Amino acid sequence: MRETVKLISMEGFEFVIDREAAMVSQTIRSMLTSPGGFSESKEGVVTFPDISTTILEKICQYFYWSIQYSRGKETEFHIEPELTLELMMAANYLHT
Amino acid sequence: MMARTIDFAQGWRIMQIGITKLEKHVEGLPGNSINSEQYIKLYTTVYVMCTQKPPHDHTEKLYNKYCEVLEEYTKSTALPSLRKTYDDEYMLLRVLLERWSIHKKMVRRLSRIFHYLDRYFVYRNSLLSLEEVGLACFVDMVYNTLQRRVREAVIAIVDKEREGDDTDIDRALLENIKDIYVEIGMGNMKRYEQDLESFMLEGTASYYSRKASRWIQEYSYFDYIRKSEECVKKEKKRMSHYLYASSEPELVKKVEHELFVVYANKLLEKKHSEFREIAGGLEPITNMFKQHVEDTDGQDTAAIRKVIEVHDKYIVYVTKCLENQTIFHKSLKEAFKFFCSKAVSGSSLSAESLATICDRIIILKKWASEELSDEAIEKVVKFLAYISDDKDLFAEFYKKKLARRLLLNRDASYDHERRIITKLKQQFGGNFTYKMEGMVTDLTLSRQYQNSFDEYVASNPAAKPGIDFNVTLLTTSVWPSYKTFDVNLPSEMVKCVEIFKVFYEAKHKRRKLTWLHSLDTCHINGKFDQKPIDLIVSTHQAAVLLLFNTRDQLNYTDIQTQLNLSHEDLVWVLHSLSCAKYKILIKEPATETVSKNDVFEVNSKFTSRMGRVKIPLSHVDERKKVVEYVNNDRRYAIEASIVRIMKGKKVLGHEQLVSQCVKQLSGMFKPDVKAIKTRIEELIARDYLERDKMNPNMFRYLA
Repeated sequence: MRETVKLISMEGFEFVIDREAAMVSQTIRSMLTSPGGFSESKEGVVTFPDISTTILEKICQYFYWSIQYSRGKETEFHIEPELTLELMMAANYLHT
Repeated sequence: MMARTIDFAQGWRIMQIGITKLEKHVEGLPGNSINSEQYIKLYTTVYVMCTQKPPHDHTEKLYNKYCEVLEEYTKSTALPSLRKTYDDEYMLLRVLLERWSIHKKMVRRLSRIFHYLDRYFVYRNSLLSLEEVGLACFVDMVYNTLQRRVREAVIAIVDKEREGDDTDIDRALLENIKDIYVEIGMGNMKRYEQDLESFMLEGTASYYSRKASRWIQEYSYFDYIRKSEECVKKEKKRMSHYLYASSEPELVKKVEHELFVVYANKLLEKKHSEFREIAGGLEPITNMFKQHVEDTDGQDTAAIRKVIEVHDKYIVYVTKCLENQTIFHKSLKEAFKFFCSKAVSGSSLSAESLATICDRIIILKKWASEELSDEAIEKVVKFLAYISDDKDLFAEFYKKKLARRLLLNRDASYDHERRIITKLKQQFGGNFTYKMEGMVTDLTLSRQYQNSFDEYVASNPAAKPGIDFNVTLLTTSVWPSYKTFDVNLPSEMVKCVEIFKVFYEAKHKRRKLTWLHSLDTCHINGKFDQKPIDLIVSTHQAAVLLLFNTRDQLNYTDIQTQLNLSHEDLVWVLHSLSCAKYKILIKEPATETVSKNDVFEVNSKFTSRMGRVKIPLSHVDERKKVVEYVNNDRRYAIEASIVRIMKGKKVLGHEQLVSQCVKQLSGMFKPDVKAIKTRIEELIARDYLERDKMNPNMFRYLA
């Protein structure tokens, strides 16, 4: 019974991913696991008003790739060069 | 990603709103939970403020603000509630617990929000992490001021429980409190150990020392031990609630120390004194014995056996329950000494009675096997070791009885006697028993002599004694001294004596034979009217009776001239023949005592159911003689010991001399101090010692 979380970009796009994937981000993880709950741990929705949709999408892909990689499937994660900077900053922000 | 820069004041305003909300939230006020949007906002604010290019790089400021916030928070909320005084210890502890958990929550939330600081700033500058800051805050402000009160409260509760007031001990609370100490340590147990553990241990120690000082007065030794063990057990169980398992060995050690070690000496004393009381409990037994013995004097054996039983019981007691400590053996010994020295109906449970016991044990055939009688003897002997100040007296009595046993019981196996003597040797040393061994050896030798004598007689027709004749050879020094009666033997006997003398001198030229006729037995066949009866009598009695072979009637003076006995001895002999149980001779006048004017004749009417009758000689009370003998012996022993000591030391003070003397002689008997003094004076008179001219208390040895 896999739980899912919803990540919402600045434009309002909703990305529904597995909880496990989302936990790759430390920030999201601490949000979701705090005891006595921030309200989002019950709801499972996190809004990122500062992250664009494209980036957020890439980030979600990254989450899944990361899990796969840690499970042994060593593929490559391709990043389009123009996204790199923003992706890095997002990663920093999300502590990924 | 955002492009705008956030001014610090601006940014902080945003933060403050969030923080206030959070504060309210952790206090439990409803409606203040932070949703994801707000969280993101706060988080982002921090993030941005930290990542902005300088001079807008507010990281450090943020960090400081963070610390401030926490301090403020603690000050305003936790402290006031904890500063109050509480009547009930529980209130204080509960409040503390509450505030601590709230604080923890707060710190956690806040640090999540400010987490970005942790990632780089804190790390790069080796500062305390946000969590650590939070903890430190609490520690400084709350914990340090409170912890003394807290632990006092804890120990008060624990003490209450110890007293048995179990009703509302909130063990969970205590456990949580314990956890606080550990958590505050932030990874190491130092805080726990220093603040809580050591205090608790001390408190425990003082509690038990108080208790112990009371208990030691109130309780008997065993109760005290039992109670203490119970307490140790309880403490072990109890401490799992308010202390960590690591503290257990220390705790147990402390408790034990207070209960046992500190009072070890006192406990020993207690044991000792209690034992004396137990020994004092022997008093009623003494009285019981007194009664017992007063009823029948043959009850000596029973009395002593009982005492030995009691003694055995107490030995088991001492070895098992009291750990066989020498101090108890000592008290037991003293108790029995004391008890035995009290006269049991006049005749003290003394050396003599013990010797009598041994004698009876050996003779009495009711022992199924020799092993049993051996055991019994062993017990008596052991017992003897405890009580006797007069071991040499016992030795003398024993020897006398041994002699009698040996002489009267020709066919006995001497192995049994030998075994017993070996036991005595183990107990008392060879000195004690060497004479006894000599006696037994004599008898075995005698038998050999007898055999060769018989051969000699058989092969030498001229040397025919005419009557059956057995000789037992005793070495003088070894046997107790016996009185010799010089009596004129009837001719038949004289012949025997002569023949043996010749035989013996051939073997040992230079030895002198002294005949002890008082110990002899003769079998005389008396032809009485009804039937002939064999009489077993002593030589003297035989001598008297044989006189009547030639004459029918004799008066006292006749007999005396014929036999050449002293008046006393003759009276004694005649008494046994005429006034005792078996009246072989008729005495005129028929009074109970023999006098010089009496006339005697054979009682031809004498008869008995049995064909053989033993006419005993009335028993002389040898006791006085033995005692006298031993006393003399002792005098010599004391003198010898004094001379020995003085020879070694040359000069010695009076007290030291006396004490050394006592020590030397303690193996055999307890010398009387007065006796020692007299002996010293004697020795001075005989020029063995002299008094020092300057100091009359010092003696010098004169070579």
